[in-house]
Amino acid sequence: MIDDLFLIEKYAYRKSPVHTLDARVKIVVAFAAIIAIVAVPYSTMVYTVGAIFFIFCAVLWGLSGLSPVIYAQRLAMILPFGMFLIVFQIFFRNRYYETFTTIATLPFGIEIYAESVEFASILLVKFLVSVSFIILLSSTTKTQDLLEGAGRLGLPAEFTLVLGMMLRYLYVFGYMIRKMRQSLETRCFDPFDRSLPYRYRLEKLAYAVGTLFIRSYEQGERTYLAMLCRGYGRESHLYISKKPLMPRDWVFLSAGLLLAVATPVLVWTGIVSPG
Amino acid sequence: MHIPDAFIPIPQAALYWIIALIFIALSLRWARKEMKDDKIPLVAVLAAGIFAIQAINIPIPWGTSGHMMGAALAAIVLGSPFAAVFVLTLVLIVQGVLFGDGGLTVMGANIINMGVIGGFVGFYSYRALVPLFKNIYPAAFIAGWLSLFIAALVTAVEMAVAGTFPLELGLFSMGLYHAVIGVIEGGITAVAIYLIHTARPDIMAEPSGAVSS
Repeated sequence: MIDDLFLIEKYAYRKSPVHTLDARVKIVVAFAAIIAIVAVPYSTMVYTVGAIFFIFCAVLWGLSGLSPVIYAQRLAMILPFGMFLIVFQIFFRNRYYETFTTIATLPFGIEIYAESVEFASILLVKFLVSVSFIILLSSTTKTQDLLEGAGRLGLPAEFTLVLGMMLRYLYVFGYMIRKMRQSLETRCFDPFDRSLPYRYRLEKLAYAVGTLFIRSYEQGERTYLAMLCRGYGRESHLYISKKPLMPRDWVFLSAGLLLAVATPVLVWTGIVSPG
Repeated sequence: MHIPDAFIPIPQAALYWIIALIFIALSLRWARKEMKDDKIPLVAVLAAGIFAIQAINIPIPWGTSGHMMGAALAAIVLGSPFAAVFVLTLVLIVQGVLFGDGGLTVMGANIINMGVIGGFVGFYSYRALVPLFKNIYPAAFIAGWLSLFIAALVTAVEMAVAGTFPLELGLFSMGLYHAVIGVIEGGITAVAIYLIHTARPDIMAEPSGAVSS
């Protein structure tokens, strides 16, 4: 995962109308959309709301000038656990339906229910929409801007300082782990090589883990001392300059929030309905 | 084990967030007061290290790969379960906001499962087992195993309460999978602690040093 950090940051450094929006409005709109889609009750309403949200996300992705392949790659990385939970849904009865209709019977008495398939698809829509907004947000916003944006939105100074330190050193350790991996490879060590005893492979990896822990601890000590020398104390915090929102930011913010709030309400009241 | 968005309804997710925030506040206080100085920067940098440790792919006997959680390791070495809460919260924020691994609305639940449960179970089982074994390594092994296993069971229970995964099957599948992965977590925790204990005994928290010397 840490290797993808460099790639994600590279995409975030591109220029486009979406990239240049203020981080604050992007954070607010993405979070609002995610909360809205999660808040929609487990019902077929989710399809319409999800479709509108997804189109909104896709339009923004198009405007960002990033390739759909990047989106697909990032999506593939986070799908497994969610998909495991979704795929197995079709075999269970859940509490959100009263009656269950069997549509297929498999050996060992396993049954597939029509309602459960519907429930699985509802979960899938919600899952895909929320993940898509996160992918959009982090692919179009630099981590430093995200951090400062969160700070300007009111994230307490304790958190911005700590998160800022962590984010900075993520890149340092990203390089470090790459080097460690390369040195293991140079010595012809492959943790997935089945000709080596399993215990031996685990032991070597455990030493790598321990070394990484010590190295990051020592980096922490050095950083802490360096910060002390520069006057770090209880009141220290990350400096975040004031930055007014541009008119375009306001336009995007109001449009995005309106969409995130109005869509579920309109679909719920039946004003917007599929077909 | 990262629960994605939509698998826990908003009201329950909010409740988990509130509980998680209490533990986050306590862990911030720990980093300020209980560590020798105000060593917040050190723990923040260490969180980046744990993130890197989670990136190491570890082979699992039947062919796939897994990775460490590291909650027990952090809690044992730094001598407080709050170390794990602190570190894992940061890791989960980055995973959730930058990668989409683990949802935003459910981040509170994920922080409870991996940071709070992982850290507290790992730390206190280690504490309880060290005098029993008179040796820190088997204690670290079991602590690592338990931290992952119990966290997985709690995750299954939360999903069952949310109504998005049946309890028995959740406990069985999550439990079984993590019982196996936990052996690796435990093993690596024990060996990593051996290495840290040998190379930098000064950074290990008290109880371990006292027993093994």
